[in-house]
Amino acid sequence: MTTLKTALTGYVGYRGREGHWSFLLHRLTGLGTLLFLTIHILDTATVYFFPDLYSHAIALYRTTLLGLGEIGLVFAVIFHGVNGLRIALFDLVFPKSWDIPTHRVSAIWTLAISLVLFIPAAVVMLRNILIHNYGLFGG
Amino acid sequence: MTTAPSSTPVVSPAPARVREVERRPNMENIAWRWMRYSALLLIPLAWGHVLLQDVLVGVHQIDLDYVAMRWASLGWRVYDTLLLAFAFAHGMNGLRQVLDEYLRTPTARRLMSWGLLVVWLVISAIGAIAIIGGVRAAA
Repeated sequence: MTTLKTALTGYVGYRGREGHWSFLLHRLTGLGTLLFLTIHILDTATVYFFPDLYSHAIALYRTTLLGLGEIGLVFAVIFHGVNGLRIALFDLVFPKSWDIPTHRVSAIWTLAISLVLFIPAAVVMLRNILIHNYGLFGG
Repeated sequence: MTTAPSSTPVVSPAPARVREVERRPNMENIAWRWMRYSALLLIPLAWGHVLLQDVLVGVHQIDLDYVAMRWASLGWRVYDTLLLAFAFAHGMNGLRQVLDEYLRTPTARRLMSWGLLVVWLVISAIGAIAIIGGVRAAA
């Protein structure tokens, strides 16, 4: 427990700028995606084990709250993927380029690319929520 | 008139020497590489799945019949099996690496690793059985 406390306070206080932020975001988006994935494997498995329950799971996912969570999930999957590609690229192809200036620039590019991919997806998903849950846009 | 003090000879710094050592990779090295290779595979698999199901189709169009229609094609079952295998293994190994940092004793780490292995196997099996078994009719 003390280890965890040290780690969590360190995450807040450490001033490592871009490297620190991308580490935190990578970890949060990874753990968040894993949490959803675990639930998602089990809820999808109901189509075989308890087919009556599947519609209940889907009804939950259609609520506005979980719809917004789904938009967050899409950001998590996109960011974790782009940042993971960055890590794989430097680790496997350019290991000698892991210097701080390159790291900083590539971290900012990673966030920018993630947002460019995320925003159109978020708009479509937000529109779907407004159409189906609030009857907007002729829904 | 200024002359360079002769008492301090100019010594050019010796170039940094990087010693490369050949050694047999252990489990941790293999896991480290595997996380990066599986990441490259997960970019098309996970992004494709999220783009199709969350953005283009949307949860409001998904129900038991939709899953049945999708799994009527062997290609999508293979796709989902690959996604289940690689995404969940990548995520659980990531969780293991994260928890490794917060656990101090070898006993705690061993217990955690075995615990995660069991959870990984059980949930992967549940997902695999559902994909193979397919959609059953709701009552």
